Amino acid sequence: MTPQTRTVAASTLSASKVYGSGDDAVYALNDVSVEFFAGEFTAIMGPSGSGKSTLMHCIAGLDELSSGSAIIDGTDLSTMKDKALTELRREKIGFVFQSFNLVPTLTADENIRLPLMLGNDKGNEEWIQKVISTVHLNDRLTHRPSELSGGQQQRVAVARALASEPRIIFADEPTGNLDSTTGAEILTFMRKAVDDLGQTIVMVTHDPVAASYADRIIFLADGKVVNEMTEPTAEKVLDLMKTIGH
Amino acid sequence: MFRIAIKGILGRKARLILTSLAVILGTSFLAGTSVFSDTLTRTFDNLFSDVFKNVDAYVRSSQVIEADFGQEERQRIPLSLVDIVKTVPGVKNAVPDIQAFARIIGKDGKPIGSDGQGPPTFGTIGVEFEGALWTIADGEFPVGPTQVALDEASAKAGKYVLGDTVKVVAQSGSREFTLVGIASYGDVRSPGGATFALFDPATAADFLTKPGFIDAVLITGDGSVSDAKLAKAIQAALPTTDKTETLTGAEITLETQDQIGSALDFFGILLKTFSFIALGVGCFVIYNVFSISAAQRQRENALLRAIGASRSQVTRAMLIESLAVGVFGSMIGLVAGIGLSKGLSALLRALNIDIPSGGLVVTTSTVQQTVFVGTIVTVLSAILPALRAGKVPPLAAMRATALEVSEPGRKRLIGGLISIALGLAVIVMVIVGASNSYLGFGILLVFIGTIVLGPIIARPVALFLGRPAARFRGITGVMARQNSARNPKRTSRTASPVLIGVALVTAVTALAASIKGQIDDVFTQQFKGDYAISTNNRGFGGLSPSLATDIAQLPLVEGATGIGLVTAKLDGKGQYLTSIAPETIEGIWNIGLIDAAYSDLATDSIFISEKIAKKKSFTEGSTISAIFADGQSRTLTVSGIYINNEIGDYILNKGLIASTSVVTFDIGVYIKSRPGSDQKEVLSSLTAAVKKYGQGDLLTKQQYIDKQSGQVNQLLGLIYGLLMLSVIISIVGIIITLLLSVFERQRELALLRAVGMTRSQVRTTVRWESVITSLLGAVMGIVLGIGLGWVIVFALKDQGLTSFKLPVTPTIVIMIMSFIVGLFAAIYPAWRATRVNILDSLNTN
Repeated sequence: MTPQTRTVAASTLSASKVYGSGDDAVYALNDVSVEFFAGEFTAIMGPSGSGKSTLMHCIAGLDELSSGSAIIDGTDLSTMKDKALTELRREKIGFVFQSFNLVPTLTADENIRLPLMLGNDKGNEEWIQKVISTVHLNDRLTHRPSELSGGQQQRVAVARALASEPRIIFADEPTGNLDSTTGAEILTFMRKAVDDLGQTIVMVTHDPVAASYADRIIFLADGKVVNEMTEPTAEKVLDLMKTIGH
Repeated sequence: MFRIAIKGILGRKARLILTSLAVILGTSFLAGTSVFSDTLTRTFDNLFSDVFKNVDAYVRSSQVIEADFGQEERQRIPLSLVDIVKTVPGVKNAVPDIQAFARIIGKDGKPIGSDGQGPPTFGTIGVEFEGALWTIADGEFPVGPTQVALDEASAKAGKYVLGDTVKVVAQSGSREFTLVGIASYGDVRSPGGATFALFDPATAADFLTKPGFIDAVLITGDGSVSDAKLAKAIQAALPTTDKTETLTGAEITLETQDQIGSALDFFGILLKTFSFIALGVGCFVIYNVFSISAAQRQRENALLRAIGASRSQVTRAMLIESLAVGVFGSMIGLVAGIGLSKGLSALLRALNIDIPSGGLVVTTSTVQQTVFVGTIVTVLSAILPALRAGKVPPLAAMRATALEVSEPGRKRLIGGLISIALGLAVIVMVIVGASNSYLGFGILLVFIGTIVLGPIIARPVALFLGRPAARFRGITGVMARQNSARNPKRTSRTASPVLIGVALVTAVTALAASIKGQIDDVFTQQFKGDYAISTNNRGFGGLSPSLATDIAQLPLVEGATGIGLVTAKLDGKGQYLTSIAPETIEGIWNIGLIDAAYSDLATDSIFISEKIAKKKSFTEGSTISAIFADGQSRTLTVSGIYINNEIGDYILNKGLIASTSVVTFDIGVYIKSRPGSDQKEVLSSLTAAVKKYGQGDLLTKQQYIDKQSGQVNQLLGLIYGLLMLSVIISIVGIIITLLLSVFERQRELALLRAVGMTRSQVRTTVRWESVITSLLGAVMGIVLGIGLGWVIVFALKDQGLTSFKLPVTPTIVIMIMSFIVGLFAAIYPAWRATRVNILDSLNTN
């Protein structure tokens, strides 16, 4: 894939997020311009407080920028009201969080279809079945979250993120609460979603191993993009992290 | 630990406010009713203590008959005693006194003053007397049989000025007088809304009571001896044959106040009962809030345990918190209650029960009682949750949040079923024949059992009730349904106050429906006339006995008969007796005489109802001793037993009453028109006859029956009003629980918002959960209430209630109301739920 043929799924332009004002102002994001491409698995890395989560939240319509813009699918999020943003999240974005991803009163199947049901949308049944079998959940669909293991719960979360065929999926430390074997399983599913199902994933992580599953890594420090890496391996990432003082 | 408890309280102000709210509401009603009763008593106390303020001694008859509700009937004394009293050394002046029924008719022909339960309308003696509070503001005291003086407010209300002709109705009929004076009472225009017509002594006796007789002698001393000695001297001077007693001014004042007090006590007890019901409902809410907050603080408490706090310290911290909440809530409740008592006055006024207005009376005992009861109730409600909080294992601090989701256990199932079974057994015993007094105990057991079983019933019922929501509201409905069933204990605790309120409302409604049905049946069956003249006065005044005789003379009337009430001691016990005229009642009232006729009721005999005959094993020919207000004992023979006791359990001949010196009024006149006569003409001739007396409502048979039902409605309205507070507390209970649930589910809500739930969908979810909870309480309450109503109706079959009527429409109304209550209670919690901060909630672990 050459850079010329890549489509931008989401991007920021001079994005800044400031807390406080005047001398006390703290920049969580400082003039960040970044692009995420369709059909790619991008990881955002950086030390604690580097602004990586803030960046993700702002692009995903969960938080507001102080200045600059966040654009998804050609739409500038800063112009949108709560209702439109909610619909955007429901229809064009998929989410996987670190923990507490599922609604405890709903079954695995209902959790997977939740965004679709919220939008009164039946969805593409063929696609949903494909997603479910990709994450190996066929025999767990009627279970409630309390009856599922941590890994199974995260698989349901991944399936939910995929179910509505979103433009982009944001994953916030999706393996943070899992042991390494289960974590690897989840990351493999995410990789498959990109390779086999053609999805776009942006993942925030501080784990070099997790990041090595991505096509491209963006490094953040002190609210700025400090480096970028393609075709990463865990070792290359570790080496780079040493140089930027992780 | 004390400091931790206090910090815990201050750290979570929102929780403090929510918990206190339940306490505030519960105690405010308690304080409100207490202040209201005290104010009422004080108002009347002032009114009546003033009457005898300047009187040093008081002579009256010692012959008295006491009946239920503190009513008493005292014999009269001869007017001639006044002159004897005047000769006693130490007496400065003595005047006769009469306090009797008299109704002043306004210039527009309408009676002045309120009809029925309002302030009384008096006829009294107006003479120059330094011991009396009556003074003449304008004109002079009345002298002779044609003069009258009126209190200032009544004169104004009737638009009368000096020299006008004033019509007054009293026991002896209606008469016209010339207004010669406007009187004022102390410095008040009209004491407590009562009306007064003043006459000279002879006229008062003749017109109001019985010629030559008065109620009492008011005496002032010249100061040479003490009041006690004066009273003794007077009593010694009076002939013993007159059976008098002499009281000091202080004694008569005290007695009057006591009488007023006991009459108001009944009302006070009613209010207290309902305020305790409300407080009981409040207990559930308090208990619920503490349970939820203990669950939400499980990790915090586990941490305390892990770092070395003992079980009892954790429990104690929570109890200290409840103590603080109890004291704080009760004190605010007290203040709120004082405000509420004003609202109560307004409510009663709206129900046509007029009460005098005056300053509110807040006694120390009200303050102590409110704060004490409120605090105790709060601490008691917190005991179980506090004990549970202490049982948290220290390890729970490490575990992920495990909120109270424990499944209801076997013990609960067995306990609940046993309680219900015992309750039903008691009820069956009552039905089979045990005393009705056990009924309350049986009902209480069934209630307790149902509430204990609540958590077990809650889940399936909530899931069932949630079906339509899940079906028609999509995913939000599904989630609402699941949320209402996810914690059955909490849901059932929230629904319990609704259950209690709805059960009581339903039972009362079912009872009222049955009574109304009964009234309809009974009156249609027993009352054979076409018209009735009724009055709202009971026990004090009523229709003049001559009204019935006058009406019977009308050409279009076939017959008219008056029915009166009189008090007498029967075999030593005070009773209300019904007096009839056997010669005219035939064909108008059918009381279902067994092997007897009205003509068997002679002046030395009595009819008794079948119910009483059975109870006291009387048969025809039994004798009963009766003492009337004249003090003489008479032996009456039972000459008839009757089935329909709608007009009373004892019936006497009016001729018998006439032979005593007792003053009686009719409570109703019943009329049969001549067959084939034009009803319009009948009505207009009757209207004219009634108008002449200026008193009584002329009603057709149907209107009369409706009016009897209407009285049930009025009582029903009062009870609904009093149950309102329980309903309000239930609503607040739902609001509090929803708020705490929303708080607890913040992360879940944040997640839902993140993956695309709109704010309006969040609101829908909370709203339907609320509706399902409310309906859960309503459905269970209706089932329980109908059962309860049926049992009560059954228990009252001795009182003549025979058929149970299912209140279908009210039940539907209650369901709709509960639905609305659910919607209403959800407003604020739903709004809070939409304000959950997505990022903050998702990031907190």
